[in-house]
Amino acid sequence: MRTALLLIILTAFVVVFPHLVQSPYLIHIGTLIFIWSFITTAWSYMGRFGLISLGHGAFLGLGAYTTGLLFNAYGLSPWIGMLLGGLAAVLLAMLIGYACFRFGVIGDYFALVTLALGEVVALTLIAFRDITGGSLGFTLKSMGTSLIAFQSEEKIHFYYGSFAFLILALLVWKWIDRSPMQKAMRAIGEDEIAASTLGVGIIRYKMIITMISAFTTAIGAVLYAQYITYLNPHTLSGVPPSLEIAFKAILGGMFSLWGPTVGTLLIVSLEEYFRVVYGSTFVGFSQIIYGLALVLLIIFLPKGIYGSLQALFQRKK
Amino acid sequence: MTELLLNAIMNGILLGGVLALLAFGMNLIFGVVKIIHLAYGQCVMLGMYVVYTLAVLMKMPVILACIIALPVMGIVGVLLQSLVINPLLKAKANPLTQLLALAGLTIVIENMAQVVWGADLRGINIQLPLIHFGNVYIRTSNLIAFFGALLTLLGLYLFLNRTYLGLAIRSIAQDLDSARLMGINPRAIYYTTMAIGGLLTGVIAAFFSPIYAVHPHFGGSFTLMAFIIVVLGGMGNMLGGFIGAFIIGVVTSVSAVLTSTEIADILALVIFIAVILVRPQGLLGIKVSK
Amino acid sequence: MLEIQNLNVYYGEFQALFNLSLRVPEGETVITVGPNGSGKSTLLKAISGLLLPRSGTVTFLGERIDHLPAHEIVERGIAHVPEGGRLFANLTVLENLKVGSYLKRARSEFSATLKEIYRLFPILDERKKQLADTLSGGERQMLSIARSLMSRPKLILLDEPSSGLAPRIVSRVFEFVHQIKVQGYAILMVEQNVRKALQLSERAYLIESGRVHKEGTRQSFLEDPYIKKAYIGL
Repeated sequence: MRTALLLIILTAFVVVFPHLVQSPYLIHIGTLIFIWSFITTAWSYMGRFGLISLGHGAFLGLGAYTTGLLFNAYGLSPWIGMLLGGLAAVLLAMLIGYACFRFGVIGDYFALVTLALGEVVALTLIAFRDITGGSLGFTLKSMGTSLIAFQSEEKIHFYYGSFAFLILALLVWKWIDRSPMQKAMRAIGEDEIAASTLGVGIIRYKMIITMISAFTTAIGAVLYAQYITYLNPHTLSGVPPSLEIAFKAILGGMFSLWGPTVGTLLIVSLEEYFRVVYGSTFVGFSQIIYGLALVLLIIFLPKGIYGSLQALFQRKK
Repeated sequence: MTELLLNAIMNGILLGGVLALLAFGMNLIFGVVKIIHLAYGQCVMLGMYVVYTLAVLMKMPVILACIIALPVMGIVGVLLQSLVINPLLKAKANPLTQLLALAGLTIVIENMAQVVWGADLRGINIQLPLIHFGNVYIRTSNLIAFFGALLTLLGLYLFLNRTYLGLAIRSIAQDLDSARLMGINPRAIYYTTMAIGGLLTGVIAAFFSPIYAVHPHFGGSFTLMAFIIVVLGGMGNMLGGFIGAFIIGVVTSVSAVLTSTEIADILALVIFIAVILVRPQGLLGIKVSK
Repeated sequence: MLEIQNLNVYYGEFQALFNLSLRVPEGETVITVGPNGSGKSTLLKAISGLLLPRSGTVTFLGERIDHLPAHEIVERGIAHVPEGGRLFANLTVLENLKVGSYLKRARSEFSATLKEIYRLFPILDERKKQLADTLSGGERQMLSIARSLMSRPKLILLDEPSSGLAPRIVSRVFEFVHQIKVQGYAILMVEQNVRKALQLSERAYLIESGRVHKEGTRQSFLEDPYIKKAYIGL
C-alpha cells in the first residue's frame, strides 16, 4: 500500500515537473535517470539474490545492437527488434547461466565470469567493425517522430515513455518479490548448500531470474539507443557500463525496490553537476567521487544508502 | 607468412616475460593477503604515468625516471594496504565485497589519471633500435623487458627462498595462525607484500614505457590479462603464473597476427571463462573445497 | 610463571571458558585433562594470543599479556604447539625449523639451537631437505615440537601431542616431552592420554565444560577415584 501511494505521488510529480520547469535540459536528465533506473532495477533482479553480475553490458550490447542494426539494414521496427534483442540476451544468459550454475560457480567467481563476458561482447562488437562501425559506433537512420520507428524529435515523449517503462520494471520487481521464487532465492542466498538439500530447484530459479534480468536489461538498452539515436560499444557494452550499473544499484541499495532508482538518481545528478560546474576541465571527476564513495560504502554500509535508511526506519518502528 | 608467425611467436614470448612479472605480483598478493588485486594493471598504468611525468614533463633522463618510479610505486602499494585493504580486512568483507571494492578502485584510479593527465596518449618517445635475425625483427625494448623481467623474477625467487623475510611471507601465505605463533607480525608482512607488489608495478611500468604509450584505459586490459593468466595457472601458484604468462603471451600474439587484436583478446577471455567453469583451480592449482 | 585469573573466553556469542583460573610455576609441567570440547584447546589459544579473552587476566613473568597480539606473546617466551602440529606443509623440515627462530633474539642463536635440536631429534637432521608433509605422523609431531623450541621459549604449550598417533609412537612422543622437561622448560600440556601425561607432570587441572572442576598434585589425581574411572580407565 505504501508503495502504491509513493508511486502515485511520484507519477504526479513526474507529470507536473515539465510544466513547472521549462527546461529541456532537466527533461533530458530526467529521461536519462528513468532509463538507467530501469536498467539498474533490472540488474537488481539478480543482484538482490546474491547473483552479482559485472557483465550486464553484454545484455545492453546485444539488445541495442540487434535492434539498431536490424532497423538500419531492414527497416524492422524497433518494437519487434527489441523482442529479438531481448531474446538474444536471454539466450546468452541461458548459456552462461546454465554453465555457471551447473558447475557451481558462484559469488566472486561468478562476477568474474560475467565481467569477462561483458568484455567479450564489447570486443566482438568492435571486431566486426564493417557491420557495427567498430569503436566509433553508428547512428540510427532518422525517421523523425514515428511511433513505429520508436523515435521522436520531441524529448518529452521519451520522458514520459521511459518513466512508464520504469514503472513496469518496478512492477516486475514487486511481482518477483511476491512470487514463491523470492522465498526460494532467499534461501539460496543465505545458505546455498542447505537449500539444495531441501530440493529447492536451485538451477531453475537462478536461470529464471537471470533470464528476466537479461531480457529487461536489453529492453532498457534499446530504450537508450532509440533516445540517443546513436550506439557506441563503449557506452552500451564492456566493463565500464557494466560496473556503473552494478555500482548504481549497490550505492542506492540493491535489496530494495527503490534502491537502484535512488542510486541512479544520485550518480547521474553527481555526474551532471560536475559536468556543468567544471565543464571539460575535470572530466572524470565525478567518477572519482562516486568510485571513492562506492569503496567506502561497500566497506561500511553493505546495504547501500537507501537500504540502510530503510533498515534504520524499520528498526525504529 | 611464416616470418610473420615467427615474429608473432617471438614477440609473444618476450611479452610473456613481463606478463609473468604481472602474474607474480598478483599471485603474491593473493597468496599472502588473500585478496584479488583487481586494480593491479591500473597500478602499472600509474607507474607509467609517473615515468612519463618525470621523463617528459620534468625532463629527467629516462633511466633515472624509471628508477625513481620504483619506490614511488612501492609507496602506492603501502598506501593501498593501509587505506583500502586494511579496512576491508577489518570489516571482514567476503570475497565478493572485496572484488567490488577493488573494482571501485579501478574506476577511481582510471578517472584520476584522466583528470590529471588527460585522455590522450602519453608516451616517452624514445626510439630503440631494431635487431634482426634473418627475417625476424625484434625490438630492443622488448628484449630488455624480457631479460629484465627474468632477472627480476630470479631476484624475487632468491628473496622468497633465501631470506628470513621471504620465509615469513611464505609462512603467512600457508598458515596464518601458525605463522603468528612463530612470532611473525601479519600486519608487517602484509605491508611488505604490498610494497613489493607495488615495486613490481613500477618495474613493469619501466619496461613498458619504451614500448607502449599510456592512456587512462591502459590499465584495464592488463588487469584482465594478468587475471586470465593467474586463473589459468592457478591462483596463488607462482609456477603456474609463470607458465600461464607465456602461454597467453604467445596465444594472443599469434592470434592477433592471424586474425585481429580484438579476436585475440576474445580468445583469451574465452579461455578464462572456460578455466573458471571447468577447472577453477587452474592448470597447476590444487583443488580447494570452498 | 604463568598466572591466569578468572578468564572468560567466547567464540562469538558462545562462551567456552568460565572464570577459569590456573597457574604454571616455573620449571614445572602442568597438565589439563578433560573431555573433548571442554575448552582445553581454547585455553591454550587464549594464552598464546590466537584468541582474545573477553575478561580476566593472563600474566606471564609478572606482565599482563592477555591483550597482546600473538606474535608479541611469542616474543615474551611462550611457544604454542597446536593440535596436529600445524606445520608449514610446503616448506622443508629445515625451513620449518628456520621459521621457528624468526624472532630476532632466536635468530642470532639459530645455528647453536639447531645443533641442539638435531642432537635431541636426529631424524630431523636426516630429513632436513624433505617437505614437511612427507614426514610420518610421529616425525611431524617431533618437528612441531622442535620448531617451537627454536624460538628459545620459557614456557611451552602443548596441545594433545599424542593425538592421532600409533601407541608405539605415542611412547616416543612422551619421551621427547620428558627430555624437554629435563632441560628445564615449563610446560602446559593438554592431553587425552591422562596416565602417561600424569607421569610427567607435577600438577594437574580437570577442566570440564569450560570450568575447572579439580586442581591438585599429580598424586592427588592418581588417587582420585573419579579421575581413575573416567580418564585413566582403571
